[in-house]
Amino acid sequence: MSKKSPIYSSHENQIYLLDSKIEINEQLSADIYHMVLNCPEIAATAKPGQFIHIRCSDGLSPLLRRPISIAMADIDTGTIEIIYRVVGEGTKILARKKKGETLDIMGPLGKGFPIPEGIKFPAIVGGGIGVAPLLFLAKAINTANKRETAGIIFAGFSSDDETFGTFFMEDCGFKLEICTDDGSRGYKGFPTDLLEKYINDRKIENDTASVNSSKEIIGPMSPHVEIKAGGKNAIDIIYACGPKPLLAKVKSIAAGAGIPACLSLEERMACGVGACLGCAVKSAEGGYMKVCKDGPVFEASQVEI
Amino acid sequence: MDNKFSIDICGIPMKNPVMVASGTFSFGEEYAKFYDINKLGAIVTKGLTLEPKTGNPPPRIYETPAGILNSIGLENPGVEAFITEEWPHLSKLSIPVIANIDGDTVEDYHKIAWRLSSLEGLAALEVNISCPNVEKGGMAFGQDPESAREVIKAVREATHLPVIAKLSPNVTSVQKIAEAAVSAGADAISLINTLLGMAIDINKKKPVFHRTFAGLSGPAVKPIALRMVWEVYKAVKVPIIGMGGITSWQDAVEFILAGASAVAVGTASFVDPLTPLHIIAGFKQYLADQGIKSIGELIGAAHPF
Repeated sequence: MSKKSPIYSSHENQIYLLDSKIEINEQLSADIYHMVLNCPEIAATAKPGQFIHIRCSDGLSPLLRRPISIAMADIDTGTIEIIYRVVGEGTKILARKKKGETLDIMGPLGKGFPIPEGIKFPAIVGGGIGVAPLLFLAKAINTANKRETAGIIFAGFSSDDETFGTFFMEDCGFKLEICTDDGSRGYKGFPTDLLEKYINDRKIENDTASVNSSKEIIGPMSPHVEIKAGGKNAIDIIYACGPKPLLAKVKSIAAGAGIPACLSLEERMACGVGACLGCAVKSAEGGYMKVCKDGPVFEASQVEI
Repeated sequence: MDNKFSIDICGIPMKNPVMVASGTFSFGEEYAKFYDINKLGAIVTKGLTLEPKTGNPPPRIYETPAGILNSIGLENPGVEAFITEEWPHLSKLSIPVIANIDGDTVEDYHKIAWRLSSLEGLAALEVNISCPNVEKGGMAFGQDPESAREVIKAVREATHLPVIAKLSPNVTSVQKIAEAAVSAGADAISLINTLLGMAIDINKKKPVFHRTFAGLSGPAVKPIALRMVWEVYKAVKVPIIGMGGITSWQDAVEFILAGASAVAVGTASFVDPLTPLHIIAGFKQYLADQGIKSIGELIGAAHPF
């Protein structure tokens, strides 16, 4: 298949539909793979939290594209990276792709993680394959706020074998707390347990007098989000991606502590661009929002999960 | 305009016979990011109801072999929001825009048809008597010749615009419904809407969708849609717009040979947004290769009489 011409949007986002060359497709663990794709157009414009929509098969089955979050984008090398878990037919086909083959992708799609200028100590909470887009986020936070300690990451995996990205997160200046379901590495339990404990231990005092306005650097954020200063290393914003129970727990912890949280959601989708209305998530204001177009990253208070 | 390829369907002039199907194209803006939608024969909007509709809870999409089950539930902003928010950009297009309408009651259909008839430049109304994903109205009107006749008659009385009846495949005799619609004043017939299907979650041991049944679309339904176009062509004299699983120009040619005067692309746009353009190009080449002077020569040409 010849490379399609890049498609330019007439609106706020550029969406490209193109054939990108696979540079690396390697197995990280039993079900988890890491792929590097050459697509300078997307690498130059992608923001953390956005995704690409991949056509896994040239044929009619599986029919739909697969939405996979962008785990890293590098403008210098013109590459983007994805880390994906083999769960069904589409990802099974993806796992068999070889270096040098091309992949029909659409992107970057959706709205990513906002990084407000006022943040001092963000917490990132990831579960399993949901850690993938958080790597790109960690890099972006590190770039935006050059500090010795960029924040803290609570990352949960099913076992030690399935952990990935941990060195990278530490390189980005994050304090790393790992947990596993089976206790084979770090704390045995969920990353939300660690988040809750961290917040309780610090008994964050929200100093309403020193409220900073959240001038955004990357991505949109609703105007009512306020970043409040706390004590030393007190969490002032939480980012999360992972299974729905993890996101629901993060939402509840964040609401209890009065900390804004940004959640990356997942839902079955067809078009990826907002036309089919398939990937609905209940809005706090009534009705539904679309994960592909209004998200996948939502401010926790915007959505019912 | 390429005269070989242009077609007039009940007074709707189209430069080519390739349209996009309602519910797969929203109000055009998403796919306008990928190509100039003025290249299409016509566009059909997402189904409109009198009042805004929030749609069904997720999951709304489920993939099947070469198909998709959807349970969107006619989510739409309602006719007034359509007029103020969507019509301004739609009215600037140089191609016909057809509004798909839906109602809970016959009176709803009458009211919405009357309201939309005030829009200068709207090309036609496609009357959806075939949506399988709503409690009231929708498919129920399209499963019985008498109620189909009643709805089409109400719309006919409310508007000067061409009226296209969109039929459901979930009937014993599609010809009878088509005949009833035409006798009530339908100027054209479009078919098919989605086929009633279902999926079961084997872990939860429950149907996947809240409404149990959902609408099947995609390449899997094409042979059924083609058969129904063939049957309706024999039963009525009005133009037919054929749709259901069209993904290639060859599919489109089959529908025209079966009796359709135009075709609409639905699900295939989700997989490759450029599908309608590929179909237009391939179809045009086919006409040239076959030495066909006008697309009219092809309509129903596969019938033995």
